[in-house]
Amino acid sequence: MTTTKPPSGKTSLEDVALPRLGPAGMLRWAWRQLTSMKTALQLLLLLAVAAVPGSLFPQRPANPAVVTQYIQDNPGTGPWLDRFQLFDVYSSVWFSAIYLLLFISLIGCVIPRAVQHWKALRSQPPRTPRRLSRLPEYGTMTVAAGTALTPDRAIEDAARILRQRGYRVQLGDTGTDLPSVAAERGYLKEAGNLVFHTAMIGVLVSIAVGGMFGYRGQKLIIEGEGFTNAEPGYDSFFPGTSFNPGALVPFSLTLNNFDVTFDRNPASYGNPIDFTADMTVQDSPSDAPRQETLRVNEPIGFGGTNVYLIGNGYAPEITVRDGEGNIALQGPVASLPTDATYNSTIVIKAPDARPDQLGFVGFFLPTAMVDENGVAFGSDPDPYNPQLNLNSYTGDLGLDDGNPVSVYQLDTTELTQLNGRDLPDGGIVLGAYQTYELPDGKGSITFEGLKRYVALDIVYDPGKAGALVFTTLALLGLIITLTTARRRVWIRAGQHEDGRTMIEYGLLARGEDHSLAKEAIRIGSALTAHWNKANDQNRQATP
Amino acid sequence: MKLSLLNRRQAAAAAVFASLLLSGCAAEDPLAEKVNAGTNSYVAGDGSVAEYAEGIRGETVRFSGQLFDGTTVTDDDWAGKVTVLNVWYAACAPCRVEAPDLSALHADFEPQGVQFYGINTRDEAATASAFERSFGIEYPSFKDKNGQILLALTDYVPPQAVPTTLVLDKEGRVAARILGIADKSTLEAIIEDALAAPDPGKP
Repeated sequence: MTTTKPPSGKTSLEDVALPRLGPAGMLRWAWRQLTSMKTALQLLLLLAVAAVPGSLFPQRPANPAVVTQYIQDNPGTGPWLDRFQLFDVYSSVWFSAIYLLLFISLIGCVIPRAVQHWKALRSQPPRTPRRLSRLPEYGTMTVAAGTALTPDRAIEDAARILRQRGYRVQLGDTGTDLPSVAAERGYLKEAGNLVFHTAMIGVLVSIAVGGMFGYRGQKLIIEGEGFTNAEPGYDSFFPGTSFNPGALVPFSLTLNNFDVTFDRNPASYGNPIDFTADMTVQDSPSDAPRQETLRVNEPIGFGGTNVYLIGNGYAPEITVRDGEGNIALQGPVASLPTDATYNSTIVIKAPDARPDQLGFVGFFLPTAMVDENGVAFGSDPDPYNPQLNLNSYTGDLGLDDGNPVSVYQLDTTELTQLNGRDLPDGGIVLGAYQTYELPDGKGSITFEGLKRYVALDIVYDPGKAGALVFTTLALLGLIITLTTARRRVWIRAGQHEDGRTMIEYGLLARGEDHSLAKEAIRIGSALTAHWNKANDQNRQATP
Repeated sequence: MKLSLLNRRQAAAAAVFASLLLSGCAAEDPLAEKVNAGTNSYVAGDGSVAEYAEGIRGETVRFSGQLFDGTTVTDDDWAGKVTVLNVWYAACAPCRVEAPDLSALHADFEPQGVQFYGINTRDEAATASAFERSFGIEYPSFKDKNGQILLALTDYVPPQAVPTTLVLDKEGRVAARILGIADKSTLEAIIEDALAAPDPGKP
C-alpha cells in the first residue's frame, strides 16, 4: 500500500483572512456541514461514482492475474493506476473515506433528529392560536340556543371526537368564556423517517460485517471426489478483512453423481433443463453423513454458510507417460466449457515428466463432428463421441520457479511445440480410450475416461440476515413516512349573546399535505353529526 | 433539513465512534496481502512462520489417514518423535520450490528419528509418485484428496495455504507452522529445537 503525503502547509491559515471562528467553531461548522442531509446525499452519489472505476479496470480481489497482465501491458499508466489503488477500488483509501464519511454523516444526522423527536413525542400540542381564521383550513358552525351545549361541553365533545380520530389532544382555557382544544397527530411520520434512516445505517453496517467477517470461495469437484471446508481445499478463496479461520464451518461434501438433462425437443434442442448434483454431506466430522441434492438456486446450507452450484463441465481422465516410460500424470483434468454445446478448452500439465516436462493445450468436444474443411466441432452437449484435440509442448512449464500460475493457462511462448495442425506430426486427436505416442519418443497421452464436475461457490455472509431485516425496516419506515400526515387541529367554542353556541376550527399541516381540506370537512361533519344526534336525543327526552 | 446543534456529550460519543471505525479500517489488510502474495486467485502462503512456545502449544494432533501405498497411519505413529507434516500437490509451484529442501532435511534428520509425512490434497497416486521421483522424496504422503486430514487439522493449527509445513513436537503438539515456501534454514532450526526438548516419557 502506498501512502501519499499531505501537501506541505504552503497555503496555511496565515495567508487567508478568516473570521474569528476558532478551532472549536471550525470543528462545529465542519460537523454541521458533514451531517447535513445534502452532504449525505452527495456522499451517496459520490459513492456510486467512485464505484465506477471498479468496473472499468480489472480488480485484484476478483482476478489478480488479469491485473498483473494489465500492468505489464500498460507500463506507462499501469503503475500510476496502481498507485491510486484503481485495481483495489473497494478497499482503497478514497473509497473507504467516502464510505466512512457517509456513515458518520448518516449517524450525525439521525442522532440529533431522534433526540428532537423524543422531545416532540413527550410535548403537548401547542396552544391554540388567537386567530384560527388565518390557518389554511378554517371553518365555523353554530349550535342553536336552547340546547344544553355549553362551550365547555362542546370542547369536551370535540376533544373526544378528535381523540377517536387519532389525535393527541390538550384542553386549554377551560372555565373561561372561550375554551379550546389543541390536537396533533402524525408523530409516526417522523418515527418512520427515523426508522428509515437508522435502518439505512443498519444496512451499511450489515454489509460491512459481511465484508469483514465473511468469506467466499470457489471449488471445483469432480464426480467421486470430495471437499472439506478448510482454506487449502479451495481453488480460490477471498476472506473478509477481519476473517478468522475459526469461522469455517467444518462441513464436508462428496459429489457422488452429477446429472444434466438436455432438452431433446427439436425446437429447443440441446438446452439444459436440469442440473442435479447428488451429494453426501456431513455437517462436521462427528455428524452422520446424509444425502443432499444440490441444484441451481437451491443451495445447501451449513449453519450460515451456503454452497451454490454455479457451473459444471467435463473432466476427461488422462494418463500421460513420459519419455522414460513412467506415468507422469494420471487422473481427471477439468476442462472449461466455452459454449452451450460444452465445447471446452483444456490444459494438461505434466511437470514431472522426464527427461522433459510435457504440456498439452486444446479442446474437449463431448460429441465431435468434422466439417467439410476437416475441422472438428462439437454438435451436442452430451458425450456421444467425446474427443480431445490437442497441441503438445515440451520444455519448462514455468511451475518450478515458485510463482503460482492458473491451472487453466499454459504460457507456450518458451516451450517447444511437438504437435499442432501446422506441424509435420499434426495435432493430437484422441477418441475415447485411445492413446497417442508423442513424436521423438517424448512419451504418450491416453484418454482413459470421462467424468463430470461441478463448480461450487461457497459463501459465508454473517451480515446477510441483518441486511434483510434492515432493508425490510427501511421499507416499512418509508411506507409509514409517506402514508402518515402530520396535522394540527384547534377548536374553540364560545357563547353568543343570543344563546347560540359558536364553534370555530382551524387545521394546519406540517409539511406537504394534499388532503388537509378533506380532513377539515371530515372533522366538521363529525362534529355536526354528533351535535345533531345529541340535539335529537335531547328533544326526545324533553318533549 | 434542519439539524439542532449537538450537545457536547453527543459530539464526544460520535467522535469516539468515528475513531473506532477509522482505527478498524487502518489495521493491516490480510486480504490485500494475501491477494498480492500470488498472481492468481489461489491460496498461496507468504512464508510466514508461527512458532508456539512450550507453554502455549495446543493438544496432541490426532487423526488417522491412509498413505498412497495403503498403509494406515495414526497419531500413535508420531508419539515420542518429532514429526514434520507438509501439505502439497504436484502442480503447486511453491511446493516444487521447497521440495528439494524438504528432501534434503529428511535425509539429514531421519537418522535422528524425525518423521516426515506429506499430505497430498489433489493428486492421484501415479501423479504423486511422479513428483516424488522428480525431487527424490523418500518419505510417504497421505492421500487427502477429500480433505479429511485438512479438516482434522483445523482443530489444531489449521494449514491456511498450500504449501503449509507443520512441525509436531515429541508430544505430537504443533510446535511451528510455516505458511508458503518453507525456508530451509528456518525449518532446520525449528526441527533442531524440537529435537532438543526432553522426551515426554523420560523426565
